[in-house]
Formats: sequence, structure tokens, C-alpha cells
Amino acid sequence: MEFGAASVNIETERDGDRARLAGRPVRGCWSSPSSPVVRGGDAGCRERVLGSARDCGVDMAALSRAQCRIGAIVLALAGSSATAAGQSVQLSLQPLDPQPQRPAFTLAPGAAEAPVASVGDQPAPAWYTDGRACEGCPRRRVGRSLFQLTMVNVLYGLGNLARGQVTARVTPKTWWANMEQGWVWDLDDFTVNQFGHPYQGSNYFNTGRSNGLNFYESAALTAFGSSTWEYFGETNHASLNDFINTTLGGIALGEAFHRAAWLIRDTHATGSGRLWREIGATILDPLTGYNRFMSGDASAVTDKPPDMVPSALGAVTSLGVLWRGSDTNAFSATGQPFLEVDLLYGDLEAGRTRVPYDAMSTRLRFGGGGGISEARVRGRLLGQPLNDGRLQLSVLQSYGYEKNDAYATGSQSFEVAIGGAHDFSSQSKLRVVGWGGLTVLGAIDSLPLGVEEVPEEEPEDGGAGQGVSEGPRFYDYGPGANFGAVTQFTRGGRPIAQFNYEARHIYSLDGVRVNHFLQKTRFDLLVPLKGRLGIGAAAEYFSRKSYYQDPDRTVKGYSYPQVRAYLTWSQR
Amino acid sequence: MMRHVPVLVIGALAVFLMPAAASAQPAAPGAEEPQVRVDAVAPPDVGRLWLVGGVAFATTRGDCQTCEEVEFPYRHSSGVVGNFGWHVNRRADLGGEIFWIPVDTPQGQIKVTHLDAVVQFRPWASHGFFLKTGAGMALIRNWVDVIGPSAENSKALSVVIGGGWEFRPTPRLGMQVLAAQHVSAIGDLATGDPTVPEVPDVVGNFWSLGVAIVIR
Repeated sequence: MEFGAASVNIETERDGDRARLAGRPVRGCWSSPSSPVVRGGDAGCRERVLGSARDCGVDMAALSRAQCRIGAIVLALAGSSATAAGQSVQLSLQPLDPQPQRPAFTLAPGAAEAPVASVGDQPAPAWYTDGRACEGCPRRRVGRSLFQLTMVNVLYGLGNLARGQVTARVTPKTWWANMEQGWVWDLDDFTVNQFGHPYQGSNYFNTGRSNGLNFYESAALTAFGSSTWEYFGETNHASLNDFINTTLGGIALGEAFHRAAWLIRDTHATGSGRLWREIGATILDPLTGYNRFMSGDASAVTDKPPDMVPSALGAVTSLGVLWRGSDTNAFSATGQPFLEVDLLYGDLEAGRTRVPYDAMSTRLRFGGGGGISEARVRGRLLGQPLNDGRLQLSVLQSYGYEKNDAYATGSQSFEVAIGGAHDFSSQSKLRVVGWGGLTVLGAIDSLPLGVEEVPEEEPEDGGAGQGVSEGPRFYDYGPGANFGAVTQFTRGGRPIAQFNYEARHIYSLDGVRVNHFLQKTRFDLLVPLKGRLGIGAAAEYFSRKSYYQDPDRTVKGYSYPQVRAYLTWSQR
Repeated sequence: MMRHVPVLVIGALAVFLMPAAASAQPAAPGAEEPQVRVDAVAPPDVGRLWLVGGVAFATTRGDCQTCEEVEFPYRHSSGVVGNFGWHVNRRADLGGEIFWIPVDTPQGQIKVTHLDAVVQFRPWASHGFFLKTGAGMALIRNWVDVIGPSAENSKALSVVIGGGWEFRPTPRLGMQVLAAQHVSAIGDLATGDPTVPEVPDVVGNFWSLGVAIVIR
């Protein structure tokens, strides 16, 4: 790969101010004939191409229009309509450094630990002496991350206390009682345990990430935050399921939020546009946002951390209606609207990597039977091409949450996936991926034998406080296994047909004595309409079998079909 | 156990921000491009191997969460702990752990083996303090209260948290003191007693203090 020698100037105007950023390895053109791209990207809406964009092979005008649209969406979301116009920054584009974050000096053996003013004959760059791993990386502050993690616990505790929860009235006596007892299973609501706790864990995780700790270090920090919360944050005994969900779910959601927030930030921008982007990112990843504002990084003009720039990026938004059937009726007459968003970050199908979550897929679905009816994060921990790159082996971490009026399930899993693609022509491609793995802890709604419906909850008497569940709990916890496959036919880079199969087994350790086996099959057909717009239809079939461990070895089954019709908007 | 999460706000924002951000980001120039960080160019001071072997003194307690009020006893014993794996970097190790502990009781000997995948984190590379966590499986012969006339084998979900201090007089050889809590969640414990065929919701907790040799 070579870098083009061309220099491109972009001039934008905002509020009459002008600034010139020249000589920075910030943005430029890349002369790879297959995928010419421009890195970086300010959202100034009146950019004028002054230089020779053609030398880069990039349609700068089109890029500028796209950025204007995206900037408008973000700004509108952030509640600002006035900041999109009037940006004036003149940028002189320089060829991109192929290894922009490599320090321009040589490290002496053993010199990596403490920042030094100079190494060898050359002075170390300022960012290195500042304790950063790269120019745009956060300063490494381990003590601060531990302190902030403790403060996160204190804030959650104060929040619970303010809402009158008796479980928040902690004292040294309750701490000691919790330590004497050890771990137990708790009785909280499904959503609290399967979504709330992972979100809280993501806060712990990002105290580490925002203070310069790497993925694995932040993972251990998440476990520390979770265990200290369980022992010292509440009067309840420490909960085993909470610990696992908070830690593993927190890692998955935390890294996903962290990377998604970095997608929103534009570290080359200035002014109010920059501010709103930083605010938007802070909503997704509050800890990183807070630290960036406090340290001044939120306004510093630098490169993004290289690890936070994905090798590819795509998103598919689907809006439509689904009709669910049952054992007795083919389909209900009333459709349920849904909105589903898939983010495809990096390239899960290729590459040798040891950088966790450099590629991931996330899904978020609203409606279709619940408020948030599905949330899923699947991040790659390791990637290895096999057979001269014809196959791709990946080790993945998965977080799953799915809740609708037919079933509710959540899981923390690790999987091994292997897949490959076959090109029928330059336009048509078939991709097949299969995976299997272990579920560290899964949850699934369940009823004891003889109970047909979840009884209505009695109104709280206020004894335990708002939101505190005292049981009984109508879902099971346990480890298990999962496997599945996906086959996708694409044309021109856009999916035309897709077949998914997923199966999950959960061996109940806590709850009803039962083995659960879930299967889900889905077939999608998609037709491109105009531009990024398409229309799709899906047929799905869900099957659930529960093998009770009662003397009669009762087996209960439940299955239902589902169809969807939707519009899609694809961005790749 | 957190009670409230602004899920709708977060979710709604995520929905709108994700596609926006997706289109706002031109792709990086190729997955193959090496992205070298300081960590990557810094030579490690030790090898990739991570081996730990030592002994621990442990207090154990089996608990039946849904049983009537019963005083479950604390029992004390000593066991063996070992880790094997590799360095992720100067501060983090990734690998497996084995924790084996036999406990003598009047009814017979209890044997518990925890096999966990663990990650160990040293917040300060120049100091020996470390934190550790992991999860895996526990193999249990008998339980902390033996019920019935015959030995029973069980498999359980295992989780471990811990911490300690590592002393390394040489780069490759050192010693650590450690404190850990292992938990094994059995679910239903099948017993040999026909009057009590199953004990539901059984959880065992193991608090341990130990010393170990570390090879890197």
C-alpha cells in the first residue's frame, strides 16, 4: 500500500473564524486502487474542495454531502439546529502516515514502563511523556480508574438510597454479614438482572478504558467493581448471577459503547460541532466523556486512537411490522411494529487479530413485543485466517438479551466461529459461517409444573423499597451451550437472501429443575429499492422444549411462527 | 442489584447514533495496516509463560438457599492452587486455574476441584499487587454436609475472585501470597438418602489464603 503524494486542501467556514491545521498527519488520501478512502472527517457543511481531490481518487464533494447529512442527524439528535452551519476551518491535507501512532524514536530495552523525556538520542513525543499510548489515547491513570470505579458504586448506592430502597442502607455490619454468607442467587426482575446489571458493569469497564487501561485490564476492573458492589453496595447477600452478568455483560456492553462513542467523536473538529459530538458520545459512554471533558481531551485536536478506527463499518436499520403466531393460531391479526438496528463494526470475516473487539456486530430492537425486545453484542477476541485465507476462525464473546411476549432469555457466552465465502462472480457472493460455544450463564423465563401463568405481582408494601423484588422469580439460571449457522447471499455488497439458525441449551441450576432447549430459524429475502433503501420480508420459526427433571420426566414444548415485513436502510 | 437503568434513553440514543456514526466514519485504510502502539514495540521483560503453584488454607461452607433455617457449618482444610497461561501484556495474564481441596468430615471426605478460566490484572506493573477473576466448572465428590450413605459426584458452575501480592526477586521466578473466594453452584444436590433425594439450590463458598511459587 502506498500513500498518494497528492495534497488536498479543504476549506470550510464556520462563524467567520478561520483556522489552519497544516503539516499534521491528520487526514489525507490513500492510493490503494481498490478502496480509496479518506480518513478523518469534519462535518462542516460548506466544505469547498480546493485541492486536487481527483489525485486521491475520492469524490470529495460526495463525501462532503454525506458528512453534512450525518452531521445533521447527530446535531438534530443533540438538540442543536444552529450549529450545522457556518464552520470555517481550512485544512491542508497531508499524506497519511502508514503507521501514524508509531513513536518516532527507538525504545531502549526495558524502557516501556515509565514515561521518559527522551529515549536514545531522540526526544520522546509529548503524548508519550504524558503517559499516553498514542497521541489521541487517554492518559494512563490506574489509581484514578480505581477511584472512579468506587465512585460509580457510591453513585448507584446513593441513587438507590434516594429512591427509598432498604437494600441501600449499608453499614459495616451488612458488609460483614455479606462476606460471612458468601454468594447466593438473587430474585430480581429479569430486565434488572439481564440488562441493568450489564449496563452498570459497562460503567466499571469504561472507568478503565477511559483511563488508558486496555481491554483485559478493564475486564479485571469490571470484576472488581462488580464484586465490591455485591459485597458492599447493598444489604442483600452477594449475588452470583449478578456478578457474572455485571462482569461479562459489562465487558461486552462496555467495549461496544466505548467503540460506538469513538465513532461519534470527531477529534479533528472544533467549535460547537465538536462539542455536540462529544456530548453525544458521552451519552453512550459517560465515563469516557466525563474524563475527556475534565482532562481537556474533549477539545484537543488529535488523531483518534488507532484501535478505535474500524477497518470497515456498516449499519442496517429495519423498520416494519411483525405478526406472531402461537400453538393454536397461525398468526395474530394485530401486527407489532418494530425498529431494528444492526451495527457491523470492523470485518468479522477476515484478518488475523489479537485486538479484542476490533470487529463486532451489535443489534438493538425496539418493539415487536417489548420496549427493548432485543439487544445483542458479539465481539471478536481473536481472529485467525485458515487455509490461505479461504476460511476464517474467530473466538467471540457474546452478550444476548431478548424479551417479547413469547419468551425472555439472556446470556453471557463465548463462541468459536468458522466461516468462508464463495464468489460466484464479481458481484455475487455466498458466505457461510457456523459457530458453537459455551454459555457461562443463561437466563430463561420458566414456570414450575402445574403453573400455567405467571401470577400477578402483589402490590409492594413499601417494605423493601421501590424496585426491590422479593420473589418468587419466574425464570431460571444456568450454564449451557449454543451453536448456530448463517448463510448469506449478497449481490453488489448488499444482502439479498439470508438464512439463520440458532440453538441454545440452558441447564437450570437455579429455578425450576429443567433443561431448556431453544431453537430459532429465520429466512430473509431483501430487495434493493433505491439507493440505500430496500424492502424485506422474513419468515421465522421458534421452538422451545423444556425437559423437566421431575419423576415423570415431563417434557413441555412450545413453538410458533412469525413473519415480518420491513423497510431497510443500509449504510456500508 | 441495581434497580433502575435509563434503558429507553440509552437505547433510543443508540439506535439513532449508531447508524449516524456508521455513515460518519470512512473506513480505516485496510485491516492489514499495522497499528503499532507503544505497548507493542516495548520489549517484554519476561517470557510469555505464566505458571503458579502453591498451597492454600481454606474455609468452606455449603449452603442450601431455599432450605428451612439450618445452620450450615464452616469447615477448614488445606488445598492446592495452580495457574497456567500466558502474558497478555505486562499487567495482565490470561489462563486457567485449578483449585483442589479435600475436607475430612465424620461422614467421609469431601473433594472439590475448581477448574476455571481466569484473568489476572496488576494495576501497577512496578508493584506486586494483583486482582484475579474467572469462571468455569467445579467437580465435587460429596458435599460440605454429606447426606446419605454413599458418595455422590456433582458438577457445578464455578466462579473465582481474588487478589494478592507477588514478590519477584528475579524476573522469572517469584512468590505470591493470595486470597481468593471460590464459589460452586450445584443447583440440586442428589443424595443417597431416599428420604432426602435432592437438596435444592446448593451453593458452596470457599475462602482461601495461600502462598505460591510463580514462574514467568
